[in-house]
Amino acid sequence: MKHSEVAEVVQASRSAVTIFFIDDTEILPGQFLMVWAPGVGEIPISLSHLGKMKGITVKPYGKTSSSLCGLEEGDLLYYRGPYGRPFTLDSGRRLIIGGGTGLASLYSVINGESTVISSARSSDELLFRGKFKCRNNIEVTDDGSAGIRGFPVDALKTIDPDLYSVAYVCGPEMMMYSVYNYLRNFNLNLQFSMERMMKCGIGICDSCSMGGYQLCRDGPTFFKDEIPELVEFGKSRTTESGRRYSMK
Amino acid sequence: MPDISVRIADIKFQNPFLLASGILDENGYTIRRILNEGAGGAVTKSIGAEERTGYIPPVVVPLDDGLLNAVGLPNPGIDGFANEMKISLEAGKPVIGSVFASNADEFIKLCRKMENYGAHAVELNLSCPHVKGFGSEVGSDPDLVEEIVNSLKSEIKIPVFAKLSPNVTDIIRIAEAAGKCDAFVLINTVRGMAIDIAARKPVLSNRVGGLSGHAVKPVGIRAVWDVFENFDKPIFGVGGIENVQDAVEYIMAGAGALQIGTAVYSHGRGIFSKISTELASYMEKEGFNSIEEMRGLAHR
Repeated sequence: MKHSEVAEVVQASRSAVTIFFIDDTEILPGQFLMVWAPGVGEIPISLSHLGKMKGITVKPYGKTSSSLCGLEEGDLLYYRGPYGRPFTLDSGRRLIIGGGTGLASLYSVINGESTVISSARSSDELLFRGKFKCRNNIEVTDDGSAGIRGFPVDALKTIDPDLYSVAYVCGPEMMMYSVYNYLRNFNLNLQFSMERMMKCGIGICDSCSMGGYQLCRDGPTFFKDEIPELVEFGKSRTTESGRRYSMK
Repeated sequence: MPDISVRIADIKFQNPFLLASGILDENGYTIRRILNEGAGGAVTKSIGAEERTGYIPPVVVPLDDGLLNAVGLPNPGIDGFANEMKISLEAGKPVIGSVFASNADEFIKLCRKMENYGAHAVELNLSCPHVKGFGSEVGSDPDLVEEIVNSLKSEIKIPVFAKLSPNVTDIIRIAEAAGKCDAFVLINTVRGMAIDIAARKPVLSNRVGGLSGHAVKPVGIRAVWDVFENFDKPIFGVGGIENVQDAVEYIMAGAGALQIGTAVYSHGRGIFSKISTELASYMEKEGFNSIEEMRGLAHR
């Protein structure tokens, strides 16, 4: 297990924090680390900030993420990786669609020409507010406390997707499924960073598989022509025991 | 071209390389894909009577020459696995249902269900090294192993394979106890542990896990060798097979077919088609027409 000293912890929304640490390893946009809180647990987290100073953005959901959110400057951050297939950086205008902390894995692909659709339950949960490299940001909240009340698809209906060459998408699965079903009819390229429960991160435990592909290894990035092969996408998933349930 | 197909307990495998239990075999779509991509057969994740979530991650520790794991037998329970078996069998290749239990009655119930689901055989997990009350705790008791295997052989029709543990003093004694099985599967992982010295804590949440991969190959070769010397029964060799040389080594020690697990981590799912092609080329070059011609050759 690698470890690095935490350089800084910065609030990214009301409850999410970005943990910065120095690591010279080359990590590409869309890749993730398996981050370990000793004695607590280990979870996959995408890099929100790349370069020599790296950053992961975490929200307290469970025991491990809550423990990580409590890290302070000077503490050690333990991790292995990077793992996973990165995004491909397409030229042209980028449409960035992030739900909740899913936006963290997209943060490093935002450039000055991008439009960001950021969504969350409420305004104080919107990630990286006012910190985007681009000026175009459409906010969407479930409760209407900021921007459009509704879901990312509602924001998509206010723009012309074909003004963009590619959409980068990450968030809860049903949000991504609705975005996919809307955007697949347009001409732009799609790169989805898929989300499933992940235990091993190295392609053996079968927890994160979708249609026979391992998200941790074949993904998490999947391209437009590959998504139809992920036959479980938006339809069924398995619990941590492997029990299948319908998502409809 | 040489024939790389094998027949074990009257089940025909197009090639001798099966997916080993515990690796990528919990989700039916994954099993189906691995079979379609070139595995000769697949052994499912070990399934028990009740649903189990397994251990909290970390469940794996990647090492230079292998892998340490303690996933903790996560499974949806035998009833929850029916649909995954159905999806797996769509590939039209042999699927072997791995099961774990603590006594003969439970094993019988599980194996009957696997038989009903269409499994071509069952593999008894008598060897998982990291779950209390199951696996190697059952598999290191010769009387219990004998009772389980004998009662299963009278109760179910499909072949019964016994996967044994290397974590015993005398594997021959356990193999004798499982003597009525249709084939031995050798070996399961070797009990081990890893500590992170910066965190000053064991890495695996279960602390103890099982070592697999290239590092354990000599342990597997020796187990296959010993069991081949003492029994006239098919053997699946498993433990550290990553390339054709490893495969041939197991076959020459006495294995009639092979299982691959950890190499899926180190080489990807493509390992099955790659190693099959390499085995055919090796046999052609060396003048072998069948795997049977090579089996146990190092004993002669």
